[in-house]
Amino acid sequence: MSRAEGGSRLLRSELSLVFGRRRNITLLVGLATVPLLLGIVLFVTQDSALAGQGPGFVGRVTGNGLFLVVSSLVMCLPFLLPLTIGIASGDAIAGEAQAGTLRYLLAVPVSRTRVLVVKAVAALAFAGAAVAAIALMALLSGAVLFGLDDVTLLSGSTVPLGEGVLRIAGVAVYVGLSLTGLVAVGLFFSTLTEVPVGAMAATVVVAIVSAVLDTLPQLAAIHPGLLTHHWLDFAEFLRLEVDWGVLGEGLAVQGAWVAIFASLAWSRFTTADVTS
Amino acid sequence: MTPPAVRSAGLTKRFRSGQVAVDGIELEVPRGSVYGFLGPNGSGKTTTIRMLLGLVRPTAGRAWLLEEPMPEGGGSVLPRVGVLVEGPAFHPYLTGRANLARLDAADATADPRTTRRRSDAALERVGLAAAAAKPFRQYSLGMKQRLGLAAALLRPRDLLVLDEPTNGLDPQGTREVRHLIRELADAGTTVLVSSHLLAEIDQVCSHIGIMSQGKLLVQDERLALTERGEPTLVVRTAVDHVGTATEVLTALGLGAPVVDGPEVTASLGSVAPETATAALVGAGVPVVGLEARRPSLEQLFVTLTGEGFDVAR
Amino acid sequence: MTETQPSSPATPPPSSPVAPASATALATPSARRRWAVPAVVATAVAGAFVAPPLLAAAGDASLPEVTPLELLAEVAEAEPMALTGTAVYTARLGLPEIPFAEIAGADPIALLAGSSTIRVWTDGEERSRAALLGPASEYSVVRDGPEAWTYSSEEDAVVHYALSAEDEARYEALADQLRAGPSPEVAGELPTPEEAARLVLDRAEEHSTVSLDAQTTVAGRDAYQLVVTPRSTETLVARVVVAVDAETSTPLRVQVWSTQDEATPALDVGFTDVTFAAPEDAVLEFTAPASATVEEVVVPLPEVTEMERTEGAAKGELPEGVTVAGEGWESVTTLTGLDVAALVAGDPAALASVPGSERTLGSESAQELIGEFLPEDGEGGHPGLSLDGAALYEQLTTEVPEGRLLSSSLLSLLVTEDGRVLVGAVPAETLRGMA
Ligand SMILES: Nc1ncnc2c1ncn2[C@@H]1O[C@H](COP(=O)(O)OP(=O)(O)OP(=O)(O)O)[C@@H](O)[C@H]1O
Ligand SMILES: [Mg+2]
Repeated sequence: MSRAEGGSRLLRSELSLVFGRRRNITLLVGLATVPLLLGIVLFVTQDSALAGQGPGFVGRVTGNGLFLVVSSLVMCLPFLLPLTIGIASGDAIAGEAQAGTLRYLLAVPVSRTRVLVVKAVAALAFAGAAVAAIALMALLSGAVLFGLDDVTLLSGSTVPLGEGVLRIAGVAVYVGLSLTGLVAVGLFFSTLTEVPVGAMAATVVVAIVSAVLDTLPQLAAIHPGLLTHHWLDFAEFLRLEVDWGVLGEGLAVQGAWVAIFASLAWSRFTTADVTS
Repeated sequence: MTPPAVRSAGLTKRFRSGQVAVDGIELEVPRGSVYGFLGPNGSGKTTTIRMLLGLVRPTAGRAWLLEEPMPEGGGSVLPRVGVLVEGPAFHPYLTGRANLARLDAADATADPRTTRRRSDAALERVGLAAAAAKPFRQYSLGMKQRLGLAAALLRPRDLLVLDEPTNGLDPQGTREVRHLIRELADAGTTVLVSSHLLAEIDQVCSHIGIMSQGKLLVQDERLALTERGEPTLVVRTAVDHVGTATEVLTALGLGAPVVDGPEVTASLGSVAPETATAALVGAGVPVVGLEARRPSLEQLFVTLTGEGFDVAR
Repeated sequence: MTETQPSSPATPPPSSPVAPASATALATPSARRRWAVPAVVATAVAGAFVAPPLLAAAGDASLPEVTPLELLAEVAEAEPMALTGTAVYTARLGLPEIPFAEIAGADPIALLAGSSTIRVWTDGEERSRAALLGPASEYSVVRDGPEAWTYSSEEDAVVHYALSAEDEARYEALADQLRAGPSPEVAGELPTPEEAARLVLDRAEEHSTVSLDAQTTVAGRDAYQLVVTPRSTETLVARVVVAVDAETSTPLRVQVWSTQDEATPALDVGFTDVTFAAPEDAVLEFTAPASATVEEVVVPLPEVTEMERTEGAAKGELPEGVTVAGEGWESVTTLTGLDVAALVAGDPAALASVPGSERTLGSESAQELIGEFLPEDGEGGHPGLSLDGAALYEQLTTEVPEGRLLSSSLLSLLVTEDGRVLVGAVPAETLRGMA
C-alpha cells in the first residue's frame, strides 16, 4: 500500500483520537453553549431597559438572529478560542511525549515530519470545529430565538438574507483562518516540552500578550504584524464593499506566522532527542 | 557467518547536562541470538536502546539495525523491529485493541485489512485477549506490560528490542515472557533484552553484554562468559571435620579455602574434583556433599559492576 | 576476561566506517542545517513584508517639469474625478491624552489623535460616501445633492440632513446655475485628501509662497508635491504639502506641518489606494436601516448672494459677535457673547457651538483647514459623540490665568472668564497676550 494511503490512515486515526477524547468534546460543547447562553440572556432581557446594548454586535442580535453568530464569535475571540487552540495545539506533541506514546509512534516508524504534519492538520481541524461549533449553534439558537432577517451592514445598507448568510459564513471562515498562526505557535511550543499544560498556557499567553501589545500606541509600527491585530478584520464581510485586500493582508500575516513557527517546530522536532 | 542484527561503533551520548550516559560502546548482537543487555540502574541501557532506534541522536558514533544505518535507515528497517522501551505507553482512554489499531494505522507498510486479525493474535499471545476491550487506563501494571509486548509482536519481526520486558509481571507472567522469547528465538528472531533481573536473563540468553557507567564492560556468549570464571570446590562435611578437610585441600594445592559452618569452599585451580574427593575420603573426612561450581552470572555481574547498592550517578 | 569486544568474527555492514572517530557526530551538521530552515523562512517572510513598501518608496516618477503656478491652475481647473479609494488619516496634534479606550467603535472623535482609515467613494459630482472604519464598526457620511446622512454602526443611528420643502424647490433651480449645489454641513464630517487640499489651494497665493517639492508616489501613483508655506512666522503652521496626481490633477495627500515638529507632519491624510472609476450606485445610495433610530435635521439653504460670497472672496461683514484680528495664517478669530460660564463649567451644550463654529464663519483659511480636520462634535445629540462632552472638555483644556486653554501643535483656543473665545493657528501665548 502506498505512503499516501498510509498517511491518511494515520490522519484518520489522529482525528478520531482528537475528536474522540472526552476533554475535547467537552470543550466543543462548552464553546457551543456560549451562543446559546448569550442568545437566552438577550432573549430574556430584550424587553427590558438594557435591550439593544452591548459591545460588538450584541445590540443587533434581538433584531436579527444572524448577528448572534458574529457576536458569539466576537465574545469567544479574545480568550475562549485562543484557549481552545492552546489546548489542541499545545497538546499535540507534548501530550504524546508526556504519555510516552511518542517514542512508540516514532519507532513504528513514522517520520517526524509526518507526525508533525498529522498533528498540525488535526489541531487545525479542531480549531475549525471549534469555530464551526460556535457559529452553527449561534445560527440555530439565533434563528429559533430571534428569527433570521435581511442583514444591515456596518455601512447602513441592507442586503437580502441569502447574501447575509454568505457574508456571515465568510466571517466564520475568516475567524477560523485567523487562528492558524496561533495553531503554529502552539505546535512549536508543543515541541519544546514534555509538559502539555506548559505549552497550552504559553500559547494562550502569546495570544493575550499580542492583544495587549496591539493596544499600545507606542508600538504602532509593529501592530500590523501582530498575531491578533487582524482578527477583527472579519468585519470587512459586513461592509458595503468587501475589501479583499484587507482580508488578504490579514491572512498573509497569519501565513507568515504559520511559515515561521511551522518551520521552527519542524527544526526543533526533527532534531530533538525523544527522552520521554 | 551472517552480519550482526545490531551493531554500534563508538556509540556515545553526552546529554546537555554534560553527563556522558553512553561512552563509546561497540555493541554486537549476532543474528538469531538472545542478547541479555545487563547493567545496574542508570548504566545507560535505555539510552543505548533509544540511540539504536533513532529516538536520541548520538553525540558520536554510529549504529546499525539489521545492517541499516540508524537513524537514516529507520523508515525501512523499523517495521521489522518490535520494540518495548522503558515500559509500555499507550493512550489511557483507548482500549487495548484500539491502541494496537492506532499503532498499526501509523505503520505505512501495514495492511489495514489484517489489523484486527493481527492485533487479536498478538493479544492472544501475551494472554490479554480477555482484556482487549478494556481501556488501557484500567489495566494493571502487568497487563500494561503485556500490551506493550503485544504491540512489539503486532507484525512478524526480525528483531525485538525489549527494555525491561518483565518489569511488573507476576511469576507466571515472567515465565511466559521467557517462554515467548525462547519461542521467538527458535523461530529465528533476534532478541535484544535489557534487564537488571539476572535470573531472567540467565535462563534465556545466548549472549550477554554488561554495561556499567556508560561503558560496555564485557560482551560474549553466555557459556563462554561463565567458563571464564575460576571453578570452585564446595565440600560439605561434619562441623568437627572442617579443619581436616581444609588441611587436605590445602595440601592438594587448592587455593584460599573458606570455612562456613559445615562447608569448606576453595578454588579448584587445575586439580580435578575426583582427585580431591579421593584425598578427602582417604583422610577420613566424612563427605556429606561435594560440588564443583562455576561462578554464577550474579557473581560475575557484581564482580564487574561493584557491590554498591547506590546507582553510579 | 575481555574488557571490550575483541575483533569481531562477523563482517561489519558494508556501509560502516571502521574508525569510530570518523563517525558522524549527528548532532552537529544535520541539526544545524535544519535550524537554517526557519532562519531562511523568517528572512523570506521579512523580505516579503518589508520589501514592497521599500520598492514603492524608491520609485522615481521623473514627470514632466511644471511650475508651481501651472500646477496650482491645473488642480483648480481639473474636473472632480469619480473615484474609489482608501485614505489613512493621522493626527499628531500633541493634545492631552484622550481616553480612547472608552471609544469602542468607529467615531469621528478618534480623528483627534492617532491613525484612522477612511474609505472614500465619489462620483465626482454631487454624490459621495466616506466611511471611517473602526474595529468591527463603521461611521459613514453619505451625500446626495441636497441631502446627507451620517450612520454610526455602533449606535445603529442615522442623522438625516435635508432641506425644507421650499428650499428644495429653490435648490432644484439653483442646481442648474451652480455646477454642483452646495452640500449641507454635517456634524461629524470626515476629512478626505481632496477636500482638505481644496481648502488650502483655493486661496494658496494670498498669504503664502507656493513651491514644488520632489516628485513622489502616493497610492502607487506618480505625483507632484506642492508646498504652501505661510509668509507669516507668527503662525503654528510651518507648511502644507499637497501631493497632486500627475495624471488627473487630483490631490492624493495633504500633510500639514507644524512649527513645533520638524520630523513628522501634525496632520496627514492621504490615499493608500485609489482607483479613478465611478463607484457602484448601491454605494452612493442610502436608506436608513429598519432597526436604526433616525434623527431628522433640516438645513437652511443660504441665499444666493451669501453663497456667492462664500464661493468668492472671503471678505465681507462678519456675523455679529465675531471679530478677526490679523491676516491670513496668523489671524485670530474672537467670538463674544458665548455662555462661557457654562463652557468653563463644562456644560456640553455650550461647548457644542465652539469648535464647529469656525467653518461657517467665513474666517481665514488656516482655521478652515483645521476645522476640516477636527471633528465637529456635539451639535445636539450627534450620534458620533460617545464621549461625555464635559469630560472631553476637561481633558483637552488646561487652566490658565486668562481662562481655559486648548493648545495643540496647529491650533490654539482660549476661552476667557469674560465670555470670549479666541481661536487661531497661532501659539497659545499670542492668544493669551490678546486676551
Ligand atoms: N534526558 C536526559 N538528560 C540527562 N541525563 C539523562 C537523560 N536520560 C537519562 N539520563 C542519564 O543517563 C544515565 C543513563 O540512563 P539510562 O536510562 O540509559 O539508564 P538505564 O541503564 O536504562 O537504567 P535503568 O536500569 O534504571 O533503567 C543516567 O545517569 C541518567 O540519569
Ligand atoms: Mg532503563
